[in-house]
Amino acid sequence: MATVTFEKAQRWYAGADTAAVPGIDLEIRDGEFMVLVGPSGCGKSTTLRMLAGLEAVDGGKILLGDRDITTVPPKDRDIAMVFQNYALYPHMTVADNMAFALKMAKVPVAERRKRVAEAARILGLEDYLGRKPKALSGGQRQRVAMGRAIVRSPQVFCMDEPLSNLDAKMRVQTRTDIARLQADLGVTTVYVTHDQVEAMTMGDRVAVMKDGLLQQVDTPLNLYDRPVNLFVAGFIGSPQMNLLEATAVDGRAAIGDYLVPVDPTAAQKMRGAVTVGVRPESWRIVSDAEGGLPVRVTVVEELGADSFVYGTSGVEGTPANIIVRIAARDQVHRGDVLHVTTDPADVHVFDTETGERLSA
Amino acid sequence: MNRRPGALVYGLLAAFVVGSALPLYWSFMIGSHTRERALDTPPPLLPGGHFLDNAGRVLNTIDFWQAMLNSLIVSTVCATSVVFFSTLAGYSFAKLRFRGSSPLMGFVVMTMAVPTQLAIVPLFILMRDYRLLDTLAAVALPTLVTAFGVFFMRQYLVDAVPDELIEAARMDGCSMIRTFWTVAVPAARPAMAILFLFTFMQVWTDYMWPLVALQKTETLQIALDRLALTGQGQSTDYALLLAGTAMATVPLLVLFVLTGRQLVTGIMQGALKG
Repeated sequence: MATVTFEKAQRWYAGADTAAVPGIDLEIRDGEFMVLVGPSGCGKSTTLRMLAGLEAVDGGKILLGDRDITTVPPKDRDIAMVFQNYALYPHMTVADNMAFALKMAKVPVAERRKRVAEAARILGLEDYLGRKPKALSGGQRQRVAMGRAIVRSPQVFCMDEPLSNLDAKMRVQTRTDIARLQADLGVTTVYVTHDQVEAMTMGDRVAVMKDGLLQQVDTPLNLYDRPVNLFVAGFIGSPQMNLLEATAVDGRAAIGDYLVPVDPTAAQKMRGAVTVGVRPESWRIVSDAEGGLPVRVTVVEELGADSFVYGTSGVEGTPANIIVRIAARDQVHRGDVLHVTTDPADVHVFDTETGERLSA
Repeated sequence: MNRRPGALVYGLLAAFVVGSALPLYWSFMIGSHTRERALDTPPPLLPGGHFLDNAGRVLNTIDFWQAMLNSLIVSTVCATSVVFFSTLAGYSFAKLRFRGSSPLMGFVVMTMAVPTQLAIVPLFILMRDYRLLDTLAAVALPTLVTAFGVFFMRQYLVDAVPDELIEAARMDGCSMIRTFWTVAVPAARPAMAILFLFTFMQVWTDYMWPLVALQKTETLQIALDRLALTGQGQSTDYALLLAGTAMATVPLLVLFVLTGRQLVTGIMQGALKG
C-alpha cells in the first residue's frame, strides 16, 4: 500500500507541438480509489501509463510513497495494470496467465499456486483455471485480468478503461464488483475512464481532466454540487447540466425576461455575460402567473421512475435547449409550454469568458 | 451469413485444383510408362505399370539418396534460419520503436526488387574467395535470411500481436527477448509455419544457384538435370526424367501432409483471436 504523488509530471510525444500532459500535480492517498475521467485525448490514459512506466516521464517526478519511481522500469515499480482489452496471453491457461508475473519474479511454485487459488476464489474463477482465454466470456476474461493484477499483491493497481469492452448489463455488475474488491483489498487504485457515470459511482475521488490539465479533483458529490468551471459542470452529470447564456443585471442573471435568482457571492462577482447552470432536477414547474422561464416541450423521455422533458426556452433571440426532470406520472406532452424556475442555492453561475465558477 | 458458395466458385476452385495437381500427375503418369510409350503421340493419359522399373533406373543412374539428403539438409537449414531471423527482425520492425526503423524496412523491401540473377556473379566470387564452392554451405548461405521473410513476418506481427499484450509482458517483468518468446512467437506460429514451408519449397526447387555453386556435390535438382542429359545423342528419356521428378516431389508432399493440419488450425486461431 502506498501513496502516489505526481509532481509536475510531463509527457511530450515525439513530433507534437504541445505536451500530451504538460505537468500534472496530483496526490493519491494510501488505499484510495482515484478515477481519472475526461473526454478522449485529455491525457488521462497517458497519465496512467506514466505511472505504470509504459510512457516515459519527460519532466517532473512520480513518487510511490517516498520512493521516486520516475525512471524505474515497469516491472520494478510494484504496480499492476489491468488493460482495456484484458491483454491475456492467448496460449496460456487462466492459471498460467495469473501466475506468469510471479513466475517471472521467481516466486516458488507452491507460493504461486496458493496465490492463484486465493485470487481465483475471490473472483469466482476456480472452475475456469484450466481454460484458455478464448474459451471464456468477456466478463470472465475481465476477471482473469483482475486476477492477474491481484496475485502480485502490488502497491498500486492501474486500470485503463477495464469495463469498456463489456455489454451494458455486465458493465454495471462488474463496476460494483471492482469497487467492492478494491475496498476489501485496500490497494491504492488509479482508474481511467471516459464514462462519467463510472467515475461517479466508483471513485473515492475523481480527477476531471481536459487537454492534459487537471480541472478538478474532488469527491463525486462535490464535483456534482460544486463544479469549479464550465467544463466540469458540463461533463459531470447525466443528463447534462443546463448551461444558459445570461446577462448580469443588478445582482441577478437575466435570460430574456426571466431573472434567475443567484446566491449573494455570485451576485457580487458577476459582470456582463455569465453562464447559468441548473441541473435538470433543480427546475420546479410553476404556474404561468408565477413567471419563470418558458419552455416549449419537444420530447418527453419516460424512464419509469422519472421522466426527462427536453424543450427549448421561449426566450427571443437566444433559444436554448432545456432539460427538466419531472415525476414519472406528471402529465406533460410534446408541444406544451411549461414555466420553470429554480432556487438560488441550486444555481451555478460561471464567468462565460473564463469559464470559472462565480457562485459560492 | 454462412451462404454456400455457388457453382461458379466451385467451378473456379475445381479448375485451380486440377491446374495445380496436373503437373504432379503428369510426372507420375509419364514416369510409369516405358521410354518409348512416353514419346507416343497422342501421349498416354492413364498411368502404366513401369514406375518401379523407372525408379530403379533412376537410382542406378544418379546418386539419388545422396542428392536427396543434400537437398534435405540445405532446405531444412535455410527454412529454419529464415524463420528464426525473419521472426526476430519482423518483430523488431513491427513492434519496437527505434531510430531509422522505417527507412531500414524500406531498404529491406527494396532489395526484393533486385533480381536473383544479378547476384549470381558476385556471390560466386564471394564463395570462391571463401573456398566454399562445391559445398552445401555455398548453396545455403545466400538464403539464410530473405527480405521477403522479414517483410512477411513484419506484416503478420503488426496485427497479430496487440501492443497491450507486449505492455502486459513488460509489466509482468519480461525482458525484451522473453517478451518475444512469450508473446510474439506463439502469435506468430501460423505465419512461421507458412514461411517455413514456403522457404523449404523455394530452396528445394532452386536450380540456378546450386548449378553455379556446385560441381561434384549434387542437390536433387542438379541430379535431375543430369537425368535429362542421359542417353545423349538420342531424345531425352522422359519416362526416366519424370519418374525421378515424381520421386523428388514426395518429400514435399509428406511435409505438406504432416504440417497441413497444424497450418490450417493455426490460421483459424489467428482469425478468431479477439
